[in-house]
Amino acid sequence: MSEMWINMGPQHPMTHGLWNLRVKVDGELVIDAVPEMGYLHRGIEKICEYRQYNEVVTLMDRCCYVAGLAWEQLYLMASEQALGVEVPERAEYIRVTCQELQRLASHLMWFAAFVMDIGLMAPFGYGMRDRDVILDLFQSFTGARMTYEYMRVGGVRNDFPVGFTDRARGVMDWLEHRVDDYEDLCDRSDIFLKRCVDVGVLKAKDCIRTGITGPMLRAAGVPRDLRRDRPYSVYPELDFQVAVHDAADVYGRYRVRMEEMRQSIRIVRQCLDHLDKRPGRVMAEKVPRFVGTPSPPPGSESYIVRRGYPKGVGLSAMEEPHGEAMAYVVNEGGEQPYRVKFRSPVMVNISAAREYLVGYRVSDIPAIMGSVDICVGESDR
Amino acid sequence: MSTPATRPPDATPHPAAAAPGDDIKFTLPPPEPTGVSSLVVHPLARAARQFVKSLWRPSTIVYPYKTPFGKTTERLESPAFRKEVGIRSGAPLGVGEIWDNYRGVHALNVRTCISCNLCMFSCPDTCIEMVTTEGPDGKAKKCPEIDYGKCSFCGFCSDACPEGCLSMTARYTLTTNDRHHMVYSPEMLYTVYKTKLPMNPVRLARPENEDNILLDQDLCIGCNACARDCPTKCITMIEIPKPGAAKPGEKLPKRIWKEPSVNDEDCVRCGTCISVCPKDCLYWGSHG
Repeated sequence: MSEMWINMGPQHPMTHGLWNLRVKVDGELVIDAVPEMGYLHRGIEKICEYRQYNEVVTLMDRCCYVAGLAWEQLYLMASEQALGVEVPERAEYIRVTCQELQRLASHLMWFAAFVMDIGLMAPFGYGMRDRDVILDLFQSFTGARMTYEYMRVGGVRNDFPVGFTDRARGVMDWLEHRVDDYEDLCDRSDIFLKRCVDVGVLKAKDCIRTGITGPMLRAAGVPRDLRRDRPYSVYPELDFQVAVHDAADVYGRYRVRMEEMRQSIRIVRQCLDHLDKRPGRVMAEKVPRFVGTPSPPPGSESYIVRRGYPKGVGLSAMEEPHGEAMAYVVNEGGEQPYRVKFRSPVMVNISAAREYLVGYRVSDIPAIMGSVDICVGESDR
Repeated sequence: MSTPATRPPDATPHPAAAAPGDDIKFTLPPPEPTGVSSLVVHPLARAARQFVKSLWRPSTIVYPYKTPFGKTTERLESPAFRKEVGIRSGAPLGVGEIWDNYRGVHALNVRTCISCNLCMFSCPDTCIEMVTTEGPDGKAKKCPEIDYGKCSFCGFCSDACPEGCLSMTARYTLTTNDRHHMVYSPEMLYTVYKTKLPMNPVRLARPENEDNILLDQDLCIGCNACARDCPTKCITMIEIPKPGAAKPGEKLPKRIWKEPSVNDEDCVRCGTCISVCPKDCLYWGSHG
C-alpha cells in the first residue's frame, strides 16, 4: 500500500503560475489527478461591470499576460457586437497583425518554458530572446511591452508608425529561420524525444468529450481552427493552413505549435502587405456617443445623463494561442456593460488533467502539463 | 558607481536616497553647446523646436483644434498627417531600450491646463485627484495630482486631455522608500514636463458624433454657475424671456431671464457645467 497524494503546487516549477495539481501516486505511477484552480482569482468579470467599455481593455491585458492583445480583441469583438459598431477594414488588419504577432510571442514563451521543463536549458534563452524582439515591435506602436491597452471600441488607438511594416518584415524573415533551427534542435535531441513521444496521449474522442480545444485538439488529429471554421475579423481573406498532427501526445502538441508559428508568420506578412497598400481610418466614424466620453467617478449623482442608449448582446469566439476563447457581453443600456463572461480555454484544458495524466509516471507530469500551455491569469480571471 | 551607456537618461543613481521630488532633478537637459554662436543660435533653435512641437502636440481632439486654414476634422487619420507626425511614435531611445512613445511618468504643463477634470474622470484606477496649485499667473488653479501607487499607466488620461497638456514621457524610474513619495503633485509633474523628455505624440482621435451639452429650458433658473465654472469659457448667458412664464394671449413678463448657450466648437465635453448645475437642467444629448 504505497498510494499517496502529492501536491504539485501552488508553488512548483511545473505549474507556470499559481495553481495546484494534486496527484495520487502509486510509487512512480500516477493513478489520479485533481487540478485545483482559483489562486489567482481577481474578480475581473465583476470589475468589468463597473467600468466603461473602453476601460475594460485595461483589464484584458491583465487577464492573460502572454496574450494580452488576443483578449483585448476577444472582448472588443463581443462589445462591438453588443454596441453595434462597425470596425474599419484597416483596423481589422491591424488587429489581425497583432493577433498573429501575439500568437508568435505566446508560442515562443511556451516553447521556452516547455523545453526547460523537459530539461533542455539552452532553448529557454532562445525562446525568450525571440519573444523579446516581438515585444519590441509591440512597444513601438503600443507604448508598452506587456500591458498594451491598444485597442478601443471601434478600432485601435493609433495607426502603425511609419516604417513599422519594414521592421516587422525583417523580424519575420529572421524568425522564420529561428523556428526551423529550434525544431532541429529539439527533434535531434534523444532526451527530448524520449520524454515527449507517446507521453500524455489523449485521443481525439476524449479531447472532444472533455472540451479540449486549441493546439491540444489539433495535435490529436482534429483539424478545428476557429480562424478557418468560424472565421472572424478578416481571416477569410487570408491564406493559411491549419496545423494538424496525428500523434495526440506531447510531441504532437509541440509540432503543432511550431507549425502554427510558421503559419502566423505567413499571416503577418499578408497583413503587412495589405497595410502598405491600403491606408485608411483606424477608428470607426460613428461609435456610440458615450464611449468616447469619460465617466465621472461614482458618487456624483448630479452627473446623470440622458442619452439614447443602444441595447444588445454580443458573443464572440476566437482562436486564442491557448485554444478557443469566448466572450459574452450584455449591454442593457448604459455606460458600463451589464455582464461580461469569458470562456477560458486553459481552464478547460487543465480541468481534463485526469484524462491525460493517469497512467504515466510522476516524471512525465512536467512534460505533459508543459504541453498544455498554461496561463493561469486567464483561467482564474 | 558607473552608469552603463545604454541606460536611459532618466535613470537615477539611487532613487531611495533622494528626497521626494529631488529624484526628478537628476534628469538633466541635453548639454548646452558652447561658443559665441550658441548664445544667439541656441535659444532660437530651441524656440523653433518648441514651436514645432506645439503644432502637433495638442492634436488629440479633432473638433476644437483650429488651424490658420480653418477647422481640420481628420488630423490623425489622414495618411499625410500620419507620415509627418506619426513617425515620431516609433523612435527608439537606445538599443533594446524604451521607445519614445513609452507610457511612463506623466508630464503636465501647468500653464496650459484648463482644469477640466477630464483626466480624473477618464482614469480607470481613480489615481488622479484635482488639487489646488499655483498657476503661472499666481492664481490658484486645479491641476491633477497623480498617485503612482495606483496608476496602471494605461494612458487614458493623456488621451482624454483636450489641451494636450497632460502627456506621458519615457521616464519610468519610480522607486522610492516611502509610498507617499509616489503621489506626484502638479509641481512635480510640471518638473517632469520641463525636463523635455520625449512625450507620447500619438493621441486618440475622438469620435465625430459626440454628445453636446443641452439645456432643459423649463428648469433653468439662470444662476450663472455653469458659465462661471466652465473651463473653456464656452458658455455665455444670453438674455431671453423666461419660457413658460407668459401664457397664451398674455404679454411677456418684464423680467428678462438669462440662460446658458454653449459654443459647441470650444466645448471640451468635460461635464463640469452638468455637475455644478443646481437644478439638473443641463444634460448630454444631440441637437438632432
